Amino acid sequence: MSGSRHPQFNQTVLIDKTPLPTSIPPVQEVGATSAPLLSSSYFIGARCKDYNEDYILCKHEAGGRGEVECLKEGRKVTRCASSVLADINKYCLKEFRAHWECLENNNHRLFHCRAQEKPYNKCVFDNLKLEKVIPGVPKGETPVHLK
Amino acid sequence: MVQDLPPTGGYGPIQYKRNVPARGFKPSYYLLAMGAICAYGFYEVTRGNRKQVEYSREKAWARIHLIPLLEAESDRDHVRRMMAADARERELMKDVKGWKYGSVYNSDRFVRPTYTPMETTGVHQPR
Repeated sequence: MSGSRHPQFNQTVLIDKTPLPTSIPPVQEVGATSAPLLSSSYFIGARCKDYNEDYILCKHEAGGRGEVECLKEGRKVTRCASSVLADINKYCLKEFRAHWECLENNNHRLFHCRAQEKPYNKCVFDNLKLEKVIPGVPKGETPVHLK
Repeated sequence: MVQDLPPTGGYGPIQYKRNVPARGFKPSYYLLAMGAICAYGFYEVTRGNRKQVEYSREKAWARIHLIPLLEAESDRDHVRRMMAADARERELMKDVKGWKYGSVYNSDRFVRPTYTPMETTGVHQPR
C-alpha cells in the first residue's frame, strides 16, 4: 500500500498534519512495532474478539463507506488492544520483552521462540486470564505452541 | 582298433563356477532395506509437511488477530486526511459558484489514495 513511500515533491514536503475535527473523540494510537504486536497478537485476539469482529462486520456492511462510518468501532478496537498491551506491560514485562526480542532476532518466526513463549504464555494466563488458542487445529492434535 | 572311451566311473566334475565367496546378504534383503528406508523417509516428509501447515496456521491467525487493529489505525489516518482536504477545499472554493464539493469519483465510496506521503521516523529517514 502506501506506507513507505517517501514524499518527494519539488516545492515542499506535503505531509498533512491536520488533526481530526474535535467532534471526533481522540484516541491514543497503539504505537507498538511489529515484534511486540506479533508477540501479543493472540492475547489481543482473545480479549478483543468482539470489538474486532464488530469493526470488520461494520466495514463489511457499510458498503465502501466503512472507513468513515466505522470510526467509533475502530476506536474501540484500538482502545482494547492498547489495554491488552498495557496489562501485559504491567504484569509480564520481563517475559514479554524476552519473547519479542527473540522474535526480532529470529526473523519473526514463532517456532524459534518456544522457550521464551512458554513462561510468557503462562504469565499472561495467570495474570490476565488470556489464553493463546489457535483456531482450526485438527482434532486430537496438540497445538504447535504446546509441543 | 579299440575306440577311445571315457575312463571307468566317468570323468571327474569340471569346475565352471567362480571360486569366490558370496559377499553380503541376499539381494532381496537389500530390496527390503531400501523399502524400509524410503518408507521412513516418506513418513518424516509427511510429518514435516503437517508441521509446516500448523506453523502457517499459527502465523496466519496471529496476523488475523492484528488486522482490525492495523486497519482501524490506517483508516483513521486516511479519514483525517480526507476531512482536512475537504475543509481545505471548502475554504479555497467558497467564492466559486456551483462548485461541487467532495469526492472526485462518481460514487459515495471512500477511495483510498494510491500514495500517502507520510512522516518517516527511525531507520527510514529520507535522504
